[in-house]
Amino acid sequence: MRTLPTGQYIQGDSILHKLEARVKILCLFILSAAVIGASSIVGYALALGTISALILLSRLPISCAFASVRRISLFLLVILMMNALFFAGENTMASWWIFHISREGIKQGFSVVINVILILILGNLLTMTTSPTQVTTALESLIKPLKLIGVPTEDVAMIISVAIQFIPTLIEETESIKKAQIARGARFESKRLAERAASFIPLVVPIFISAFRRADELSLAMEARGYRNAKNRTRRKKEPLALDDYTALTVCALICLLQFMLLR
Amino acid sequence: MSKMSYVKRSIITAVCIGLSVVLPMAFHSIPNAGNIFCPMHIPVLLCGLICGGSFGLLCGLAGPLLSTLITGMPPMAYLPSMLVELAVYGVVCGLMINLVRTKKLYTDLYISLIVALIAGRIVAGAAKAVIFSAGSYSIAAWIASYFVTSWPGLVIQLALIPAIVGALMKAKLIPQRYSAQYEA
Repeated sequence: MRTLPTGQYIQGDSILHKLEARVKILCLFILSAAVIGASSIVGYALALGTISALILLSRLPISCAFASVRRISLFLLVILMMNALFFAGENTMASWWIFHISREGIKQGFSVVINVILILILGNLLTMTTSPTQVTTALESLIKPLKLIGVPTEDVAMIISVAIQFIPTLIEETESIKKAQIARGARFESKRLAERAASFIPLVVPIFISAFRRADELSLAMEARGYRNAKNRTRRKKEPLALDDYTALTVCALICLLQFMLLR
Repeated sequence: MSKMSYVKRSIITAVCIGLSVVLPMAFHSIPNAGNIFCPMHIPVLLCGLICGGSFGLLCGLAGPLLSTLITGMPPMAYLPSMLVELAVYGVVCGLMINLVRTKKLYTDLYISLIVALIAGRIVAGAAKAVIFSAGSYSIAAWIASYFVTSWPGLVIQLALIPAIVGALMKAKLIPQRYSAQYEA
């Protein structure tokens, strides 16, 4: 636990790394829609081709893009089986009790699994080429329209930024509390699962006390410096979109449009 | 418990979001700990109880999202239903703690927690049945995943959360809910 799993963000200088975080998030949504809209072999080939091109452009190892897919392989198998066994289609190949294996069910199962895998890879590409701070800044910009319905978007962005900055501190606190509990006989590395689980309980209360103490100090410091809320605060740097960003958005929109034209 | 300033409630929410990322990492060495012990739920429920419904909602939405972005857990496939579940926990906890006034701290906490836990599970199950796993979700699957598998997490939450709130009040890190005259 000592090392934050920053393997989620991999530093680099590829085209994808250099794109604006806002553009990457929007492209994620557009391409996810394109993946969901795929309904034929040509459609899936287009989606797969796009994602392969993105993996090549990111210059990241292919195994990284597929890492989280391996983790949920059992879940994907369950989805496939549920659709294959319970989907009542027209061309039933075999039937017994509540189980109906049909061509449509198998097709539906594979379709759902492929969609999940492709969207997962798109999400991985976003998180591997964009640091959490960039994502937070981008989200602050993208959720600005919610101001119209009364959501205090600047405060939301401030809270998320503070949360990200607190994470390494909280990890250090957890490590030192864990060592203190080990000195008092807690067995975090015990082979017995129940013992290992029980040993985490005395970790939780001290972590919360320590975290809330830091929150108390920080809020006092902020109020003492005149901070009341994040309204009307401005940024020193304003980064406009570059030509690459507009190109990326246009290409993704065209791919999505093509996908929906193929639907017809 | 909402006598704190807006800034303090904001920072406590930020800390709870951070803990939503860090606590699951601490449980990472136990196989399948996320589904069984539900470590991410504790900070969200606490945030709703201490800061109110709107901050609890933000914690319930931002916590799992940030955890997915930073640590990759929960996987994106599980994220939508978890967002719904935790958002409901945060909002309902905050609403209930403001509505329930039995003059006994632990009674208020337990009523708020139990209602929030049931409401969150019902809404998440409905969302899965109607949207996320439409056509392939059943009541048996709902009971298995939200009650049978995660009963240790339920017990831990009901035991730990009131204890944490009591400890925070004793350390004067959050305001007392009732004066000493009414405390349980």
